[in-house]
Amino acid sequence: MKQMLYAGLVFGLVPVQTTVLHYASIGGMRPDLCLVTACLVGFLAGEFEGMMLGLALGFMQDLFSAGELWLNMVTKGSIGLLAGLAGRYLANATPVAMLATMLGLSILSGTVFLVSVRTGQGLADAFLAVRSVMLPQAVLDAAVGVGVYWLIVSRGRPDQATQEKTSPLW
Amino acid sequence: MLVLFALLLSVFFVLPKQSRSLLQNIGKPLAQIVAFPLGALAALDRSLQEAWSGYVALRRVYDENRRLRREIEFLRGQNSELREVATASQRLGALIGFKERTLSQTVAAQIIGRDATNWYRGVVLNKGERDGIRAEMGVITLAGVVGRVVKANASSAVVLLVTDPNNAVTGLIQRTRDEGIVEGTAQGLARMKYIPLLSTVRVGDTVVTSGLTGGFPRGLVIGAITNIEKVEGDLFQSAEIVPEVDFLKLEEVLVITAPRPLDESGPDAGSLPAKPSKKR
Repeated sequence: MKQMLYAGLVFGLVPVQTTVLHYASIGGMRPDLCLVTACLVGFLAGEFEGMMLGLALGFMQDLFSAGELWLNMVTKGSIGLLAGLAGRYLANATPVAMLATMLGLSILSGTVFLVSVRTGQGLADAFLAVRSVMLPQAVLDAAVGVGVYWLIVSRGRPDQATQEKTSPLW
Repeated sequence: MLVLFALLLSVFFVLPKQSRSLLQNIGKPLAQIVAFPLGALAALDRSLQEAWSGYVALRRVYDENRRLRREIEFLRGQNSELREVATASQRLGALIGFKERTLSQTVAAQIIGRDATNWYRGVVLNKGERDGIRAEMGVITLAGVVGRVVKANASSAVVLLVTDPNNAVTGLIQRTRDEGIVEGTAQGLARMKYIPLLSTVRVGDTVVTSGLTGGFPRGLVIGAITNIEKVEGDLFQSAEIVPEVDFLKLEEVLVITAPRPLDESGPDAGSLPAKPSKKR
């Protein structure tokens, strides 16, 4: 069942992201559903699943993005992994903790993009990208992530998911 | 697991070409699978948009308005092409000018999505390698230049818009014939760099493609100059350009599969571009 869900996410999320998500955009910014999903899965199901799903989602995203073929894959994979580690060591997985984690990871992902995509275009352009893309994106990702997390929590899934976290760290 | 991830990362950095080709090979069949939900969602999106704008905003008026807008875009494009032909004729003579401006081979494609991230200004087309589309091909509408293809899968392609800061096209100021590089800006406009200091460029001048880069033939409209920047001590001046194409209302584009016609002796050779052939 879980594998089916993951396969559905891998093949269905990117089409949603590229086609109909503009209805949910604010000021032209769309939430990064792949980042949110990798983060949530890592947080709730452990770092291994988070990383693997992040890698797969990122790769699919790379196929439909103008950037390098590895950029989203590595970023989303890292985010799944880091979210898993954060979920493992956070004693109280409250929505506030989730918000902070998601915000931090989205900013981290944005920084990777900023360095690899907007280098050599001047400091002013970099600041503009931080202001107009990175920070709004992080806020949007965190808001969507917390919303979905709250929905999952209200259905009592995280306890079950936390118990399933059996993958070893090393 | 961290060690495995670090190994994976190091492979990307140590063997960039090999890993890229490997990823490309893995990605093609996967992109094929994604093409189905992508197409379905794009159709859903399109029908939602059409239903909304069609019924709410008086269908007939809307349709007529759209038709007229397209006609205006077409006439604008033709007007600019005519000007370009006139300038070329004065310089080189009518025959050479016409030969340079003959119709390119194009493939019509629909826009089915936007770039999967917010970091690039790009669009996804519903045509790909199967229709003859390859990376680095130019993409236009009847109004002017849209961008260039950066990735092509079997049935879809990703286009980087001319307003993206990572994009660069060689441009030519139509009136003064000065060349420069047109790049996108962070603000969503375009900027022409490396204009000679002695150029008499002025606000309102039209910038067209120079034909020096592979994807575009000479004379396609990029946009109009709105601001000129001349910094003391600099060897060149630069100019801000507002693109002719309205990227928010893009629905269909033409991908230039061959910047020059393959059969120059054909019936269209030497004639002004009529509406390009749409292969669907």
